Amino acid sequence: MRDSASVQQRLGLTPGTPPILSLKSVSKYFPGVIANESVDLDVYPGEIHALLGENGAGKSTLMNIVTGIYKMDAGELIVDGRRRDFSSPTDAIEAGIGMVHQHFKLVRAFTVAENIHLGWPETPKRISRNSLETRTAQLATDLGLAVNPKAVVADLSTGEQQRVEILRVLARDAKLLILDEPTAVLTPQEARELFTALRAFTARGNAVIFISHKLEEVLEISDRITVLRNGEKVATEWTKDCTEKSLAQLMVGREIVLTETHKKSAIRVKAAPVLSLSDVSLKGEQDTVLKNISFDLYPGEILGIAGVAGNGQRELTYVISGLSQPSSGKIVLDGEDVTRAGARALAQKGIGHIPEDRLHSGMAPTLSITDNAVLREYGAPPLSRKGWFSPRGAANLAREIASIAEVMVPDFNMPARNLSGGNQQRLVARREMRIAERILIAAYPSRGLDVGAINTMMRYFLELRDSGVAVVLISEELEELLSFSDRIAVMFHGEIMGTCPTDKADAETIGLMMGGTRQEDLP
Amino acid sequence: MTSMRLQRMPLAPPRVAFALRVLSVVLAILTAALVLWGSGHNPLALGAKVISSTFGSSFGLEDLSLLFSPLIYCGLSVAVALRIGAWNIGAEGQFNFGALCATGVALFVSGPVWVILPLMGVAGMIGGALWILVPTLARAYADVSELITTLLMNFVAMLLVYWLATGPWLDPSGMALATTSRLPVSVPAFWGIVHWGLPIAILIAIALSLFVTYTRWGYEVRIAGANPGAARYAGMPVRTQLIGIMLLSGALAGLGGMMEVAGTVGRLQGGISNNYGYIGIMVAVLARAAPIGVLATAFFMAVLLNGGIVLQSQGLTTHTVLAVTGLILLYAAIGDEAAHYKILRTKAKDG
Ligand SMILES: Nc1ncnc2c1ncn2[C@@H]1O[C@H](COP(=O)(O)OP(=O)(O)OP(=O)(O)O)[C@@H](O)[C@H]1O
Ligand SMILES: [Mg+2]
Repeated sequence: MRDSASVQQRLGLTPGTPPILSLKSVSKYFPGVIANESVDLDVYPGEIHALLGENGAGKSTLMNIVTGIYKMDAGELIVDGRRRDFSSPTDAIEAGIGMVHQHFKLVRAFTVAENIHLGWPETPKRISRNSLETRTAQLATDLGLAVNPKAVVADLSTGEQQRVEILRVLARDAKLLILDEPTAVLTPQEARELFTALRAFTARGNAVIFISHKLEEVLEISDRITVLRNGEKVATEWTKDCTEKSLAQLMVGREIVLTETHKKSAIRVKAAPVLSLSDVSLKGEQDTVLKNISFDLYPGEILGIAGVAGNGQRELTYVISGLSQPSSGKIVLDGEDVTRAGARALAQKGIGHIPEDRLHSGMAPTLSITDNAVLREYGAPPLSRKGWFSPRGAANLAREIASIAEVMVPDFNMPARNLSGGNQQRLVARREMRIAERILIAAYPSRGLDVGAINTMMRYFLELRDSGVAVVLISEELEELLSFSDRIAVMFHGEIMGTCPTDKADAETIGLMMGGTRQEDLP
Repeated sequence: MTSMRLQRMPLAPPRVAFALRVLSVVLAILTAALVLWGSGHNPLALGAKVISSTFGSSFGLEDLSLLFSPLIYCGLSVAVALRIGAWNIGAEGQFNFGALCATGVALFVSGPVWVILPLMGVAGMIGGALWILVPTLARAYADVSELITTLLMNFVAMLLVYWLATGPWLDPSGMALATTSRLPVSVPAFWGIVHWGLPIAILIAIALSLFVTYTRWGYEVRIAGANPGAARYAGMPVRTQLIGIMLLSGALAGLGGMMEVAGTVGRLQGGISNNYGYIGIMVAVLARAAPIGVLATAFFMAVLLNGGIVLQSQGLTTHTVLAVTGLILLYAAIGDEAAHYKILRTKAKDG
């Protein structure tokens, strides 16, 4: 280990500068799980410190301890040289530590200005809407985070909402900002803006702890990296000395071979499409969210859907999985009109759906892991016979799904929300793959997964494809689409701009189509 | 040196939770005793009186059973709705209206007892379901909160019963001032004055609890109650389930009303519901909406109510009893939260 003097010097601090945050032998146990074991961590002013680890390694738990959401079972927490013991997030905020969670905690019906001032002791007791907005605008310029104070949160994009969250934290004079997988839901452009804001923030002598599974971006943004494995800290390294490979190895504890994804061109066993959409449109509350979508999906192919999030991808998955009924148009599954068949019928016909928002639509977080694991298969034998439900059968199936998903579950009766974010995603993904006999719709399936889990999942997608299942893969990561799909369709404002085979596609033309150029108008 | 610290756990260990429940009851009774003592009564003597007159004789036990039974029906009614995330504040009204419908059958349909009694049961259930129908549809189709609507319906049902019992259906013999005539049929008793309404209630509770764990519908209701979004995603007919469960909730309270009028009271009269519907909310909440739990909490509430009646004969008002039930609820809520905490002894390091 390096002596701390050199750490400060390398960070450009005067020798002897104390860390903003220092954890000493912090441990946290849940029934049957060691979430953190004797973790040491020092975060200095001016640094962006990345926290890495596999799903369930204990990253979120450790940060929840730092922000007073959980209490540690052993160890010490030192903030600015003082030993602290936070009993609530408010205490942590007062000590200058703020956290932005992966699931935002904004009031959606309120404006940006109202959200910023909500629950803030410094908000004057009586204040007009106008002065709230001026104060917000002032804060925004001071802190270098562009927001529109008048806008209602529900109307903002994910990236903008996150900026409001960050502004909310920074306005309370945070010196340490903790971000839990902040870029998982951002477009590359929004991620870039976030990084600029973070750099400006640390340049003022503040610090950031940054949790992410995207090694590339961790290498780009951080100064130092701490890696957790099974709740223990395995190393803190200077980012300059790391590579994606070395980090992956630290996380897993052995050399990981990312299986080369041999892209055999899809076998077209049947020339007939498994699913055809013709002229499908969907009206939303205000405007049309899907406009005249037509495409054929063939068995044994992976169809990638590219596009900036919010351009109708979610609605498209809803229409195909039967969660929404199109306002016009026709959907045909293996020759059968299923336009109005509904979600249950389509699931029974072998359409699996990994939803974009697992917590709100794919799971019931307060119910047991067992109840959640059997959500797709509860209605058929061996779980149900003639209306009777077998709890034992459910428990068996849940165990089976958890074991192939490689999720360690100490107690299947524990509410599913206690699982780590990535483990929730793994369970949902496995549950859906099991029923996907014809089609698997996967919306941002790698969100929240660690590198190894993404690799395993993608390998499984390829296996599904080779066995004749059609996979619809929605992703914001062009690279993922280019390396796994057989064809790529690009969505913009609820329309498909064009579709092309992956071997004829390049990042540039896809980029143009994502920006709204139709394929036929391409140069 | 060791220091002690509190730690909040995400799940309360069941044994601790149960112990704290018991403790909260004891504390509530102690508080009440203290207040009684402060106001010049002898709590020990009063307590002894309550216990001896409740458990000391078969009359006491019979009275207790007659309170126990309607509380089960109402508790189950509220609990069932809670399972799917609906607050049925209107068990009181459904109870009244169920009693009213059953009375209608008894007074105006003639036939052999074995036809009329089941018919009254059905009428009671249909009545209860009808009384929650409008709030149900409003919630299912227009997302109108059932909290207020079910509550409002209570007053209507209550007034309706008063009006019928003192007006159109008033006992023609002129013997009674504010009730209907004695119903020609009644739910047979099996022990003293205790009628079959009680065992039937217990059977229903057991059936419901099996239903929750061992039927496919029970599973679906669990999902829909916890996250309607997930239920829709799995293709469950969420709206139909909500409607079905809420109507069932109303029917249970209505059946309770039928048993009350045809088993316990024998005639329809104003105030026949005796606040059972409201106390049922407490019964269900204390039981955490578990049907078997309802049996325990309903029994407990029956003991309290019965105690209250005994105390009244000792010159205390009903408010005392209401205060005690309120206290229990308060302490139980505190206890539930406290059950999440565990005390940690940490060895503080030297220096
Ligand atoms: N409230 C809780 N009750 C029980 N176990 C919990 C609770 N919270 C977390 N755990 C367990 O602690 C372990 C660490 O979880 P944590 O959420 O910290 O992982 P993580 O590193 O953030 O993973 P991910 O990358 O998937 O988000 C997991 O095994 C998880 O199931
Ligand atoms: Mg996490």
